[in-house]
Amino acid sequence: MALAPTAFLDPALLARISDLELLARTVVDGFMAGVHRSARKGSSLDFAEHRAYQPGDDLRRVDWRLFARTDRYYVKQYEADTNVSVWFALDTSASMDFTTHAVTKFDYARFLVASLAWLSKGQGDRVGLVTMGDDLGEVIPPSARHLQRILHTLARTPASGRGQLLNTIERVAHVTTRAGVVVVVSDCYEPADRLGRAIDTLRARGHDVIVFHPIDPGERELTFAAPLTIEDAESGLRLPLRPDELRAQYRDAFAAHRAALTARLAAARADYVPLDTAEPLDRALHAYLDLRAMRHPGR
Amino acid sequence: MNFLVPAFLAGLAALAIPIAMHLRHREKGQPVRFPSLMFLEQLAIRTSKRQRITDWPLLALRALALALLVLAFARPFAVGNAAQQGAEAERAVVVLLDRSLSMGHADVWPAALDSARRIVRELGPNDRAALVLFDEDAEVAQPLTTDRTTLDALLAGATPGTRGTRYVSALRVARSVLLDAPSVPAEVVVITDLQRSGVAGLVGLELPARVTVRAVSVAATDRGNVSLAGVDVRRVADAERTRLAVQARVMARDLDAPRTVNARLEIDGRASGEQPVQLPVDGERLVSFEPVPLPAGRVRGRIVLDSDRLAADDTFHFALAGEDALPVVLLASDDAQRNETLFTERALVIGRAPTVRVTRTRPGALDASAVRDAGLVFVWDTPLSASETGALDAFVTAGGGAVVVVGRRLAEQGASVPLGVVTVDGTADRFADRGGSFGELRTDHPLFAAFRESPGALTGARFLRYARAVPTAGSDVLARFDDGLPAVLESRRGAGRVITLLAPLDTRTGDLPLQPAFLPLLRRLVLYGSGHEAAPLWQESGQTWALPRALREVVVTTPSGDLLRPAATDSLGAAVPLTERGIYAAYQGVVSGDPSLTVAVNAPATESDLTPVDARELLVGVAIAETDGTAAAGPGTEVEREKRQGWWRWLLGLAVLLLLAETLLANRGWRARAARLTVATGSPTGTEKALP
Repeated sequence: MALAPTAFLDPALLARISDLELLARTVVDGFMAGVHRSARKGSSLDFAEHRAYQPGDDLRRVDWRLFARTDRYYVKQYEADTNVSVWFALDTSASMDFTTHAVTKFDYARFLVASLAWLSKGQGDRVGLVTMGDDLGEVIPPSARHLQRILHTLARTPASGRGQLLNTIERVAHVTTRAGVVVVVSDCYEPADRLGRAIDTLRARGHDVIVFHPIDPGERELTFAAPLTIEDAESGLRLPLRPDELRAQYRDAFAAHRAALTARLAAARADYVPLDTAEPLDRALHAYLDLRAMRHPGR
Repeated sequence: MNFLVPAFLAGLAALAIPIAMHLRHREKGQPVRFPSLMFLEQLAIRTSKRQRITDWPLLALRALALALLVLAFARPFAVGNAAQQGAEAERAVVVLLDRSLSMGHADVWPAALDSARRIVRELGPNDRAALVLFDEDAEVAQPLTTDRTTLDALLAGATPGTRGTRYVSALRVARSVLLDAPSVPAEVVVITDLQRSGVAGLVGLELPARVTVRAVSVAATDRGNVSLAGVDVRRVADAERTRLAVQARVMARDLDAPRTVNARLEIDGRASGEQPVQLPVDGERLVSFEPVPLPAGRVRGRIVLDSDRLAADDTFHFALAGEDALPVVLLASDDAQRNETLFTERALVIGRAPTVRVTRTRPGALDASAVRDAGLVFVWDTPLSASETGALDAFVTAGGGAVVVVGRRLAEQGASVPLGVVTVDGTADRFADRGGSFGELRTDHPLFAAFRESPGALTGARFLRYARAVPTAGSDVLARFDDGLPAVLESRRGAGRVITLLAPLDTRTGDLPLQPAFLPLLRRLVLYGSGHEAAPLWQESGQTWALPRALREVVVTTPSGDLLRPAATDSLGAAVPLTERGIYAAYQGVVSGDPSLTVAVNAPATESDLTPVDARELLVGVAIAETDGTAAAGPGTEVEREKRQGWWRWLLGLAVLLLLAETLLANRGWRARAARLTVATGSPTGTEKALP
């Protein structure tokens, strides 16, 4: 039975694919198959290179002469198309290693980063990666040739340690020397105001910022039924509790945090995209492409 | 409802374990990792809530299963019909009546009987009572009964005995009597003069908790008592005849004032002397009677004091064998000069009870007649002819003893050693190293037992020359020289024994006769070699008289004139329990003429001390048991007992069912999901976690 293109975006299905490159291609191809028109609108007279045609590319940019010679579709790449640097800042703290269903938040985040990197690379962007744990981990500067390195780093990076999200975001601001797009993927366990201030430093460098916030349903709803002792994944602190009695208060607190993040990041003129890890990735991809379209319409 | 092993009920304390586990369930359970406590820490979580028991059904199930297990192990049983009878009887009373010799005090026995009768009178209509008479042993005169008439009749016929006091035996018997009345209040009433000497052995005795013990003291207010504690009898030989010198120890206790009593001596039923004795308030005096001519044969004597309120200890009996002498034949050659055997001859005759009478015989004169009356033959380093050897062999085989001294004559002449315990192979000269000594002594042997604490007394002796001997089969080496050669050997021959001495007993080749140990060694040599055992002057009532196996068809006359025919029950011969004070006499075949053996029996000396102990002290050391033990379930057939005690099986089965239910309950619903919660381990691909 043929699968619908969007079926490839289901996290439960993606979790079975161990190769991140294949996963990213699957996601992006599936996603782009559902998009009738390429979101890429930029063009330039400064030819840079050819690249293979991808569904969604503007047919006007297909090099027909090259098609005539090779019988394959290529589109022309212009310099202006590749000069957007996209930084993926991935939160690798231990709190990301949590799930109550198919995939952990960290896996979901990796799928997302891999897919967005593949998508960006396909659109001619330069992609780089920063992992954020208790300090900056891997720093891969943006480049049109760093996709494989990014995928490899994503594959071998575990989620562990205590996160220092605010500090690491501020350090990312210092690492990035050229204005571009910074995609932050984190579970945002920081007060909204302080996280907003950290995003402000990125914005001050001229970056367009989009914050993806993967949320596990159990994390959001506190779905535990039995009385239990829960342990903070990062600090190791333990707290015995009866979830039934606290669920409503917890939901309210969590929702208030999301609302605060939405408001504060909007104030910072950053995009905030909460993602349910039980849902497909297409919403994240749409949000990303929308951002690219709005902030970099000519590219 | 009662329990066979109520100690297991302490296991109910284990109910605290599931409660504590439920209270601390979360802290002890596997924690579930959660991304952050950021929001939870902001919520007000009351500590009391955390320690609240949350799963009451599961707790109740676990606690009930545990309680049932404990009850099953405690072995509950139903009080059956027999026990119900006991319940209908309001009380069970055991009267322990002391009938020891001291209860014969003029004031005590009537008071004891009165107390016992009063207790019987005061019994309720449903009460049952038992009567136990005790001294050193206890006898159930009447098991538990409601028949007062029988009890009164038994009390009327009871008399004080002649034996000592031992409370522990009485209480043990009372405990067993009360097994007939399980699960009812029971009382043990001890009617006694509370003699201190009877308390021994009470520590460790266990009585059921339902039993109360009450002592009724009937101790005399006037505890003054004069008694005879012992006698010493000696044969005194003068130029004309042998006389008997008797000395008695008279003991005074708790007298109001010093007093004078007369002590009379009777020998073979005839008054043989009388002496006044000045007695202090507390103390002992010796009274010596004028020596009297020694009658022929066995002597029966007694000393009688003026009677006081405890008359039983005012007469003291003693029995003396006709002549307590041990004839020893010393066979020594003529060339064994007097000074060679001087030390041995002199040492042998020292001592009495028995006195040793030495007859010196030269070789060639030893025949059956020469050894007929002998207890021991001492062969002094001389070879024997075949006839002499035959006579000596027959003597030893019949139960006599022989000591063979092997010296230079037997060693140098190469003659065969009499009775062949060893073969001699020359002599060992120890002049060079200034003499040898004993190197190995069997101090566990009766011959050397006296030197167990001080073996140096013997090993200090030096021997310059001695025979090299090789033991023959069947001989036992009791001592060796320091060069390993045998020094003293023993060999059994029939009913007698042969002691062979390689260690020289003269002063020419050794200095053993000059050692302090020489005298006791030679004394022991003679007594052990002859198998002589001194007969005691008296024994105490309650002891047993062991009759020698050699006596055939024994008839024993008791002091009261009864005739006993004790049968030998084992290889040691017959034994007669000594229950009366006076003279027991043993005859062979018929009771006529001089008896073969006599023994005098007196009251235990401890019974003369009337000092009472505090009634409370009587029960110090007596433990209170939780239950009567297995017998507490009451009498009845095995089937009935099993029926009453079989509840534990049901309880155990029910506990198992509850535990199964607990297992099912704990693995269903949210409990099961909670149990499967696991801690995620970080990995590059993430680890699947539990589904809440």
